[in-house]
Amino acid sequence: MIASAERRRLAGQGLTLAGLLLLACLASLLWGAGDVGAERALAVLAGHGDEEARFVVGTLRGSRTLVGLAVGMALGVAGALLQAVSRNPLAEPGLLGVSAGAAFAVAIALLLGTSAATLRVGVAQLGALLGCLCVLGVARFRGLGNDPVRLVLAGAAFTGLLSALTTLLLLFDQRAADEIRFWVVGSLSGRRLEDLLAVLPSLAVAAAITLVIARPLAALALGERLAAGLGHHPGRVRLLVILVVALLVGGATAIAGPIAFVGLVVPFAARALAGPDIRRSLWLCLLLGPLMVIIADVISRRLVAPSELPLGVLTALCGAPVLIAVVRRRRLPML
Amino acid sequence: MSLLVQSSSSRLGRTRPEDAVASPRGTRRLAWRGLSILLDRRTLRANLLLLALVLAASLAYLCLGEQILSPADVLAALQGTGDDLSTFVVDALRLPRLGAALATGAAFALAGCLMQTLAANRLATPGIIGIDNGATAFAVASVVGLGVGLAPPAMALAGAATATALTFGLALGGGTQGYRFIVAGIGVGAVFGALTNLLLARVAIDVANAAYPWTVGSLSARPAGAVWTLAVGLAIGLPVAMALGRSLSLMGFSESVARSLGTRLGRRRAQVLSTSVVLTGLAVAVAGPVGMVGLLGPELARHLASKRSVPVLASALSGALIMVLADLAGRLMLSPLEIPVGIVTAVVGGPWLLWILIRPRSHGVA
Repeated sequence: MIASAERRRLAGQGLTLAGLLLLACLASLLWGAGDVGAERALAVLAGHGDEEARFVVGTLRGSRTLVGLAVGMALGVAGALLQAVSRNPLAEPGLLGVSAGAAFAVAIALLLGTSAATLRVGVAQLGALLGCLCVLGVARFRGLGNDPVRLVLAGAAFTGLLSALTTLLLLFDQRAADEIRFWVVGSLSGRRLEDLLAVLPSLAVAAAITLVIARPLAALALGERLAAGLGHHPGRVRLLVILVVALLVGGATAIAGPIAFVGLVVPFAARALAGPDIRRSLWLCLLLGPLMVIIADVISRRLVAPSELPLGVLTALCGAPVLIAVVRRRRLPML
Repeated sequence: MSLLVQSSSSRLGRTRPEDAVASPRGTRRLAWRGLSILLDRRTLRANLLLLALVLAASLAYLCLGEQILSPADVLAALQGTGDDLSTFVVDALRLPRLGAALATGAAFALAGCLMQTLAANRLATPGIIGIDNGATAFAVASVVGLGVGLAPPAMALAGAATATALTFGLALGGGTQGYRFIVAGIGVGAVFGALTNLLLARVAIDVANAAYPWTVGSLSARPAGAVWTLAVGLAIGLPVAMALGRSLSLMGFSESVARSLGTRLGRRRAQVLSTSVVLTGLAVAVAGPVGMVGLLGPELARHLASKRSVPVLASALSGALIMVLADLAGRLMLSPLEIPVGIVTAVVGGPWLLWILIRPRSHGVA
């Protein structure tokens, strides 16, 4: 049971983060790469404002912010779940090749001539599932999973291979290449509300499953035997987690392209704030994920205005130092 | 094993009384006055085989392409007696590119072999620990006009040195042994990869498009000056690496053993590291990050050459062979479209890297 003082502390953290997230969303609406500045955008928010500003703020930046919220939540939670189930603080969907699997699957689908948005989501999720199973299968094979750092190395090799294959596929087909080139680097620019709606059902399913498995997952952190002794089924829980991670990462990748390091930084920060219990850190991930993605997105719009920076660049710039910091510790924290 | 026994018996059969110093099994001692050198037969054979393969691949490289020439045409063009078309295709188009492929392949593989030996880990190639990405980021900065007036090779060298310093500095606590060092390198590589993208996003789209094939590793956009700089670097680096051969094999032992055998370990390490970094930087300035050659070349060399010593020359030859074959495949597979050589080597090298990681006994060099 969570003590009441701790409950209050957790609520305080949650409220602070929610406030920060609100500010980030506001910033995302106010600043962009175009020439609609903060004053014109504020006028729109106050209820008046000219036609152009209303379109830019309401349609372009609004849907972009919503997409950022969804992508951030999905990636943050997926990272936390993947780390918990592999008991590895470095397990991150982008680093382990899950996102690359989704991107590769989408590239194949585009090459075969599909371009419907809903189909792309399904395909990306299937690719993510296969990538997830590959990496975690390898991890159980020959004890690779016992060494968190070696698992990351295998994931990096897997990612490198898949992205080379994706590039190769794009060379075959110029039409697919044009369609996918800006998607494959990971970005939120030009994403519409319809893209988000196509993903929402699967994200909802993933959220529902997560609520059910949070408790068994926390028990699994005590060890497989203990979890079984408490009446949970470790095998079943693990399978469900993989399914959820595939749904979340595949969905996020289908909208925004492969974005690495969010799933590493967010659970890392959440654990630092809330402690190792996944039932608590998951809630913070839900706030921290969108916070990171939206702030990175705002910076990516402002840094090289009037052009834009791929979002993946910024997440890598702030994520890689965290990776190095985790690796440098004398003892890796086992989850 | 049978090979060793056979060669040793043949050596015994030919022993002469004046052979005061017996050479170890499977080797041959060449002596001239006071100087003598030990040749390992298996390594010698491997090097000759690799040299023959490199020559054959080079001939195929010159013959094949959109315009298919017969070997006779190519030889005539090389001697300056061919017709205009084949002379143009060979001398102006394929020969410079072949030279760049040979030089970059040899440099990447040699740098990989040195770094693997230094870190005592066959996964610690410059491509994996982020040195390629550092060199690429700096060279791209020079290409898109943000460099401080330095040519791409100089900037690539600076980038390689910076990335190396970062990776080694960050891994200082744990030493270069083990996988943490490599993951720290992956992190450094990710930062520099992101910086490359950042630089490309800042410039006009046509400049970025021109730099794109080069950021994935390609021989089509090689700057002429960089190729000559690399050739000079290789002409110095290869003899230096071969001269370091004995100290390199000692690095496989524990530190105290190497020291007690009289190696100045710190100085040798610095020499090996700087040779590797310089070669990587210069090669990246020509072809971009084709880091997989640094993994595949030494692997092939270790399979062929003797386990007795570090296969320095064989690595360079294998790297050149792999690079020529990969670029040839990239040119032919989707002709007239060209697959960047970095993609070809990544598709071949990725599974190999995974296999090294998964299979048992994958710790350490060989």
